[in-house]
Amino acid sequence: MAKRIEILISGYGGQGVVRIGQILGQAAVNQGLYTSMLISHGTETRGGYVRSQVVISDEFIDSPVVERPDFFCAFSGIAYTMFKGLCGSQSLILHNPDIVSPDPGLASPHWGIKAEAVATEELGDAVFANVIFLGALSSRLALLTSEHIVEAIRERLPQRFHEKNLQAFALGRARK
Amino acid sequence: MKRTFDTGNAAITEAAIRAGCNLFAGYPITPATEIAENMSRRLPQVGGYYLQAEDENAALHICNGGSIGGLKAMTATSGPGFILFADAFGWAVSSEVPVVIVNSQRVGPVSGITGAPGQGEFYLSRYLTHGGNFETIVLAPSSVQEAYRLTVRAFYLAERFRTPVIVLADQMVTDGWETLELPETDAEFLAMGLEVVPRRIHPGPEFYPATDDIDVPPVVLGHNTGAACSDWTPTDRGHDTEDITWQHKHAWRLIHKILNHRDLIDEADQWYLDDDPEVILVAYGTPSRVVQNAVNAARRDGLSVGGIRPISLWPFQDHLFKRRAIYLVVELNWDGQLVREVQRAAADGSQVHFWGRCGELPTSAELLEDITTLLKHEPLARDGWRTEKW
Amino acid sequence: MSDLLEKYVRPEKNPGTACKGCGLRLAHRKVLEAIDELGLAQGDVVWGTGIGCSGRQTFVTWKGDTFAGTHGRVYAMATGLRLALPPEKRLILTVGDGDAFTIGFLHLLNAARRNVDMTVVVFDNLGYQSTGGQYGVTTPLGSKTDSSPYGAWEPNWTQGGFDVLRILKESGATFLARHTVLQGHEPVESLKKAIQNRGFSVVQLIYPCVTHYGVQALGTRDLAKIYDWFRERTADDLSADANTHFTTGITHDASGSRVEFAAGLRQFVASVQKGVGNGETD
Ligand SMILES: Cc1ncc(C[n+]2csc(CCOP(=O)(O)OP(=O)(O)O)c2C)c(N)n1
Ligand code: SF4
Ligand SMILES: [Mg+2]
Repeated sequence: MAKRIEILISGYGGQGVVRIGQILGQAAVNQGLYTSMLISHGTETRGGYVRSQVVISDEFIDSPVVERPDFFCAFSGIAYTMFKGLCGSQSLILHNPDIVSPDPGLASPHWGIKAEAVATEELGDAVFANVIFLGALSSRLALLTSEHIVEAIRERLPQRFHEKNLQAFALGRARK
Repeated sequence: MKRTFDTGNAAITEAAIRAGCNLFAGYPITPATEIAENMSRRLPQVGGYYLQAEDENAALHICNGGSIGGLKAMTATSGPGFILFADAFGWAVSSEVPVVIVNSQRVGPVSGITGAPGQGEFYLSRYLTHGGNFETIVLAPSSVQEAYRLTVRAFYLAERFRTPVIVLADQMVTDGWETLELPETDAEFLAMGLEVVPRRIHPGPEFYPATDDIDVPPVVLGHNTGAACSDWTPTDRGHDTEDITWQHKHAWRLIHKILNHRDLIDEADQWYLDDDPEVILVAYGTPSRVVQNAVNAARRDGLSVGGIRPISLWPFQDHLFKRRAIYLVVELNWDGQLVREVQRAAADGSQVHFWGRCGELPTSAELLEDITTLLKHEPLARDGWRTEKW
Repeated sequence: MSDLLEKYVRPEKNPGTACKGCGLRLAHRKVLEAIDELGLAQGDVVWGTGIGCSGRQTFVTWKGDTFAGTHGRVYAMATGLRLALPPEKRLILTVGDGDAFTIGFLHLLNAARRNVDMTVVVFDNLGYQSTGGQYGVTTPLGSKTDSSPYGAWEPNWTQGGFDVLRILKESGATFLARHTVLQGHEPVESLKKAIQNRGFSVVQLIYPCVTHYGVQALGTRDLAKIYDWFRERTADDLSADANTHFTTGITHDASGSRVEFAAGLRQFVASVQKGVGNGETD
């Protein structure tokens, strides 16, 4: 049977929800895997939530729907509330405890990373938070190699941002 | 092959360029805007023309005008623009000019919800203009890769049949990202089963013969052939006439050039039908991907289930539904459109149920639940048009 | 004259089916005269038409290549077609006042904005005539028509200080003129300039609809009386009172002053392609 990994990423517009999915998808393609990403917006003005449903598999992906996420990156309280119901004990929820407070009733393991604070402290700008999350997520993604993700970061982000993003990725990946 | 990770919008753009599209006229609308944006970047690179029309009616008329000048034209839109095509679409159907139309369906009616997928134009795509007396070719991709293939095919069929061809996509297909393999050589392109028909020029001044022939070159103006084309019922010279015998010949040609060459158009995926399944799920576009997943999961559980995914929607493939079974038609709308055609086409004694929702895809788990219920011959929690009450 | 028809008009469309005495034949002839005097041959012109008496009576009369659009849309079609045609081909459209100035006005304005090389000859019969005679935006105020039994009162675009050609001028048209078919050779001279302009030209050519406007608004079937009314209302220049007269002449001649759309687009595409060669864009 196919190895299928489902990743849900959601937050506000501008938090890199789509970008993280693009990097994961690109890495998967570069690695010869199959991947799909559905994008939904809460509203046309993009002020509401943005959601990426990423599926990575070693076979053709039939349903692109994330029904039981293996990973959920909750970048906002709204996103967390909206999609936590999909998560079970198998779902690892990545979140920033400064922004999202975990629901104690949820069976899912939570992994709190103060990514915005780390990004501001270490890299001088909170915008790198999403790549810190990507780094952390990648350390648990057995299907994707770190080299392929680094290559995908180089492909998907403008060159002048490579250095800081690669640092952010390394910071995230080093977290335990 | 170039293996990339890209959107359906990008796939449609690259397919159009590969098929020789050299004119795109459009008007921005979510979620089809990106196709226009991509075309504005790609077309000039290959010597083609991109322009923004004053509205969608103009967009398709500009495409029609380009097409009767010999250009290969395409436009792309979503529901609110699609409805404005009615006039120009009729012109293209009746004058028999090739043109490709992409509709990324969102949630309606009218402006509805912009960034979520719907399937509300199943019937509209069949009858995108008034007056009847014609057949329409509509293709429905369910993945990014298929959006590439079907866009190339749309250009191919448009040229061979002298008619507008509609690619009926949805927001998930066009905005969605997936593994996309792009052919880099002609051999790779051919190996994908794809072909490009260059524009040929009708010799004129005779109009099209009163036959069901395809591959009759379309009328192209500017070569002083005395060619004529119009929205009027044409005589054999393309002259306007009020004579009902000419109208009959015209209508017959519009209908039968398509119906008599369905082998070139008809396409469907059929899953586990040889097993004579008790329950058959039916869907097109992105929901069909979830259906495929649910059917596979049900089969793994030993359930008697199959699936049908029409790839060409119109002309409708009645023959797919002649097997006696319990059908569950899954659509992204609350009113049930595809299900009505399935009801009509299904063999006597079959039961046809409707699963509908808008904006969100079904989940495999939901469908599995319904499959189990149907196999037990129990009523569905949410059957037919008895949608939830608030 | 009849050899002009022989030269350019399909024999099966000659004579056409316009009502006896209709001024449309005169209008049609003015266009043919202009084409002839410019020395243009059948293959030099592609002819398009709109809907209504004006459009349908001239559709597929031209021996060369012809096409017809749905009501008001032929300007958008011609915009697309222009991109495909060789620049030297003249693109002439004969259309009604309703087709051009109401239902198709949005497309007309945008063709003017782009300065697409075409000559739109508006055969203005002062309203919607092929549908039986209803008032339009060039119908003189007070006219009785089938839809204005008490006299037309809606503001129009030819009186009260308005001039539809001025709107077109502001929209970017590079040649504009207005005439009536009773003016002998003057309309032909304007039409020649319009056709020669490598840009967007409109010539408004007013003619009598005898069957509807004559009967409903002028209250007579007498062709002589109808033509007299039109003759009296025709002013030979632009300075007359537009509330009471058809002011005529070239209202705007900026031929060649703007880049023609198709030429500009071709140039733009070539420049992008050069840029691509230099690796400036991806
Ligand atoms: C979309 C559409 N609306 C209405 C009509 C009906 N119609 C046919 S001709 C005509 C009048 C057109 O007036 P004009 O363009 O001034 O032409 P005329 O008949 O006066 O020469 C109308 C309204 C039509 N053919 N198409
Ligand atoms: S109805 Fe009027 S405009 Fe039309 S053909 Fe008759 S006279 Fe001419
Ligand atoms: Mg009129």
